[in-house]
This record gives sequence, structure tokens and C-alpha cells, in this order.
Amino acid sequence: MFDIVSFLVSWFPIFSIYAILALCLNMEIGYTGMANFGLVAFYAIGAFVAGYTSMTIFLSFYGYNYPIYSLDAIITMGKIAGRTPWLNISVFILSLILAFLVAGLAGYLVSFPTLRVGPAFLGITILSFGEMLRVFMKHFQPTGGSYGLLGIPHPFAWVSDPLIKNLLFVIVTLVILILVFIYFELLANSPYGRALKSIREDEIASLCLGKPVPRIKAELLFVASGVSGIAGALYVFYLGSVAPDMFVTAVTFEVWSMVILGGRGNNMGAILGALIFSLLNRATAILNFIFLDLLIDPNYIRWMITGILIIIVLMYRPKGILAEKTVKTDAWRIFGEAQRDWDRITAMIQVANRYLKRAFHWLIGRETK
Amino acid sequence: MTNPILEVRNVSKRFGGVEALRDVSLEVKRGSITGLIGPNGSGKSTLFNVITGFYKPDSGSVYFEGRRIDGLNPNEIYNIGIARTFQIPRLFGSLTTLENMMLSPRGQKGESLLRAPLRKAWVNEELQIANEVKNLLKEFNMDGAYRMVASSLSGGHVKMVETSKGILGRAKLILLDEPTAGVHYAVGRSLFEYISYLRKTANLTFFIIEHRIDLLFDYVDYVYVLHMGRLLSQGTPEEVASDPKVIEAYIGGA
Ligand SMILES: Nc1ncnc2c1ncn2[C@@H]1O[C@H](COP(=O)(O)OP(=O)(O)O)[C@@H](O)[C@H]1O
Ligand SMILES: [Mg+2]
Repeated sequence: MFDIVSFLVSWFPIFSIYAILALCLNMEIGYTGMANFGLVAFYAIGAFVAGYTSMTIFLSFYGYNYPIYSLDAIITMGKIAGRTPWLNISVFILSLILAFLVAGLAGYLVSFPTLRVGPAFLGITILSFGEMLRVFMKHFQPTGGSYGLLGIPHPFAWVSDPLIKNLLFVIVTLVILILVFIYFELLANSPYGRALKSIREDEIASLCLGKPVPRIKAELLFVASGVSGIAGALYVFYLGSVAPDMFVTAVTFEVWSMVILGGRGNNMGAILGALIFSLLNRATAILNFIFLDLLIDPNYIRWMITGILIIIVLMYRPKGILAEKTVKTDAWRIFGEAQRDWDRITAMIQVANRYLKRAFHWLIGRETK
Repeated sequence: MTNPILEVRNVSKRFGGVEALRDVSLEVKRGSITGLIGPNGSGKSTLFNVITGFYKPDSGSVYFEGRRIDGLNPNEIYNIGIARTFQIPRLFGSLTTLENMMLSPRGQKGESLLRAPLRKAWVNEELQIANEVKNLLKEFNMDGAYRMVASSLSGGHVKMVETSKGILGRAKLILLDEPTAGVHYAVGRSLFEYISYLRKTANLTFFIIEHRIDLLFDYVDYVYVLHMGRLLSQGTPEEVASDPKVIEAYIGGA
């Protein structure tokens, strides 16, 4: 029987993680016209930073000095992961912050030499960086080489009921997804977002209107790569492990498919693309169980469907399912145009704010009891 | 005596074997409309590209309001008050007229990554700029065009939006590269009428490359003539028009 809750807890985090990646790529390619063909690199960096940080802190907190990739470490983590809730939560938060900073910095540094030249250079440079990084990580012993790291402490490992533990994680990924969405919507619908689009349309003309194009590109790569790093960290905490071969180039193109299908330059579109493809993933994985003697790998079926879907959608909707919208700032008010989008965002922020406050009070209340 | 707003001193620029500019010196007086003419390939666009920071001159220097500006980047040049248009207009094709025009004002608060998400920090400025855009569009008789994407605007409207960049950007000096190319003669004339109106009312200086010499000469104060990368002649329109060297260059040249 189809169990909706267990489907939710296994599917939703993956969906959120992909949606966050799609939002990042959308800011880069959809808004700014930067063809990031190596998105997976920053996702991987976030993942390894989170894995490394959490394992190291946990083991040293409990006074063990096994290498974090050793069998001893994995076994020990199984014993200590659920003992100290505050440590789990703090390590989780710290890991997300570090993943953001390190991945963001990497995005900035890798792209720096290419910011003054055309978009093709940027794309190819990052693409090869991603592959190089993966191969390097396979031989980098401190994070376990090609086996990677296992036994990474779940942020809610201290919750005894696995269902609640997983539901809590669903909530966390949902909150992060919403925050990323709101932040990117705010950026996109501001004079800054307008400048981003001008770079996409015509870099030279943008430069001639005084926009510091290389700096803006670098800033955006920092932010988007950093947020991709957060997605990587979430993935690691979801799986409890991290290994180099999780970060093949195909991941980047999967995210590209989401953005193209959902609608370039539309953040809702990016999320919709992630929704469609993550469901498609599930569907093809289920195929595997139903037809055990399937002759082709379900992965191939998935890629075939992906290709057909993109062709069909782009034939009828060349801009993707949800077309790009104008930059919604208050300027439109002067021309008597309502700000429905703007009002929607403000309302969302208020709601999010209220729930965050409530959650905060709930946590504080428990602590002091 | 008015001091020059722009001074070009002994500028040379070569591309491989082509000597696009050779020892060119000229000045543009504040508040003037100055013309730049010459046969095709004589180096006019190259000179604009040097002034606006796209090319570094091989030798020589450029001064704006007494400050040396060769070596600055194009965005820095815009931010000190020099705006330019391109021979082929470069609007942001899939953005609306409103968005295109809103991009012109320099140093907008909301264009910083950190302030962008804080609407309060930039909303007043945004409303102010939008008002100015609205008034300009009314002046151009294109009120309804604000929500049209730039790629669907008529040739005349494109020129107006292109010219408005300098006004909205509070430029002191505006460089126009063949502003009337590709539009009807009458539209070209009304564009020049508007330019000379702006010069009087907004205290702007114009430096204009133009192929329609008859049109240009009705509006300019002073003209420079380039030929094969060198300054061939200069003077008032009457002086230049009667200079035999200029006549020969145009008839015998490219
Ligand atoms: N980026 C460039 N690379 C090589 N040659 C160039 C470049 N820009 C201009 N030129 C050459 O310099 C000369 C002057 O060109 P240009 O300034 O465009 O002339 P004009 O605008 O007067 O028609 C031409 O011979 C042109 O081919
Ligand atoms: Mg030219």
C-alpha cells in the first residue's frame, strides 16, 4: 500500500534540495545569463564541508581521535550521534553556515578569471573545475577518498521516533527552501535584479550604464554557489553519508533541465521544474521495483522522458512552463499597475516570520521547563 | 571663455596593421554640440571607444573636466558623467521600456546586493526615478510604451529611449554614434531638435558622430573631420564645408 507519510519524508527533502539548486541556477542563468555548467561542484563542496565539519566536531567533542573516515569513527558515531541534542543542532547550523561560506568563496574564486570575458568561458571553466574536484576528492584521504564519509550525525538523531525525526527534517528543508525563495524573489524584484537582467541581455550595454558588471557577476556567483553549498549540506544530513561519485556532471544537467522546463527567469518555475523532475525520479525508481526484469536501467528511461518532456514543453511554451515576468518594483505603481507579486511576497514574509517566532518560543519554552 | 569639458590629447590606437587613430587631439567645449564626421573606417567609433574606456589608447591621454580618464573602465566613465549610445542601438531587448529606462540613473541605492532585499532602503529613489521616466515618456509622446518590450519598439522610439539614457543618468557629456542612422529623415530632424532643446534647458554637452552632414550642420557649433585615423580639418560648419581637403576626402576617399 502506498504510504503517503513515508513517501513525503523520503521524497520531500530531495525535492527541496533540488528546488534550492534550481533556484540558484535560475539566478545565474535565468537572471544574469551566466551559464554555470559546474553547479555540482559547489553542491559537492557544501556536502563535503558539512560532512567533514560535523564528523570532526562530534568525534573530538567526545574525545575520540580516530580519522573521521575510519570504521571506528563510523561505529562510534552510531553510539554518540543521539546523545546531545544541542550539539546536533549547533553542528547542523554551523555546517550550513560553513557550507555557504566555503562554496560561495569557491564560486567567487573559480569564476574570477572569467568574469571579464564572455559567458562560454565561465561555463566551461566551472564545468572542468567540477570534474577535477570530483576526481581530486576520490583521492583525498582526509574525507575518505572514493568511499567518502559515513555516519554523519542527523540533526535530529536524538529523536527516538524515526517518523518524527524525518518529519522534523522535512520541516527544516521546507523552511530553508522558503527562505531561499523569498530572498531570491526580493533580490530579483529590486533594482539589483533589474541590473542582473541587463547583464543577461547585453553585458556591454550594461557596463555603459555604469553597472560594475564583473563585480555584480562575482557577487551573484558567491551567493548562488553558497546557497548551492547549503543544498549540498542538507543532502549530506539527509543521507548520512557523502562520497565523490554522488557529484557527477549529470547532476548539473538535471538541474538545468528543471530550470529550462520550469521557466528561465522565474523562481516559481524553477521550483515547479524541481517538483516535476523529482516526481519523475520517484516514478522511474518505482518502475524498477514493479518490473524487476526490466531490460534497461530506469535511469535511462528517466533521461529519455526528460528529453521528450523538454522538447514537448519548449515546442508549445518556448519560455518554459512559467514564463518570465517583469522586474516588479514600486516603479510600476507610478504607472498605475498593481503590485500583486510584491504584496504576495510581503505577505509570505509576514507568515514565515510569525511561524519562525512561534517555533522559537516553542523551543525556548521547552528549554526553560 | 568656456573651458573644454573633454580633451583628447595626441591619442593613437592601432589594431594590428590598421592605424585606426593617429595622434588625434581635439576638445569639446562645455555646453556645445560638437560634430565628428569622416568617411567610413576613418576611426570615429574607435575614438568614442577610447573616450568611453572600451579601448586603452596606445599613446596619448583623455581628460574629462580636467581629470585624466583614459584607463578607467566603461562603467566608471559612465559614473563620472559621460554617457554614450551605440551605432547600432543596444537596448535590453526583452525588458520593457520602463525597465530599460529605470536602468539609466547611476548610483542607485537598490543596485547593491546588500540593500536590494531591503525595500525601504531604495523605494523612495525608485518612485522618484519612475516619475521622471513617466514625464520623459510623455515628452516623447510615447506614454503607452512603458510596458512594451524594447525589441518591439519602433525605430524612432528606440532612438528616444537610447537618448534618454544620458538624461536619466545625469550625464554631463553625451556621445552619440550616428543617432539618426536607420530612421526617417523627419524623425532624425526631430531628434536633433530635441538634442538642441536639451542642450539649452538641461545644460548638456553633445559630441555627435553623424553621416547626415546636412542635418548635423544645422545644429552643431563646431565640427572635427577624421580621415584615415588623422584629424583632417576642424572649424564651424561653414569653415569645414568649404575646406577643399574635406571635399577631396569625401569624394576621393572610401
Ligand atoms: N576592434 C577592432 N579590431 C580591429 N580593427 C578595428 C577594430 N575597431 C575598428 N577597427 C578598424 O579601425 C578602423 C576605424 O574603424 P571605426 O572607428 O569603426 O571607423 P568609423 O566609425 O569611422 O567608420 C577601421 O579600419 C576598422 O576596421
Ligand atoms: Mg562607426
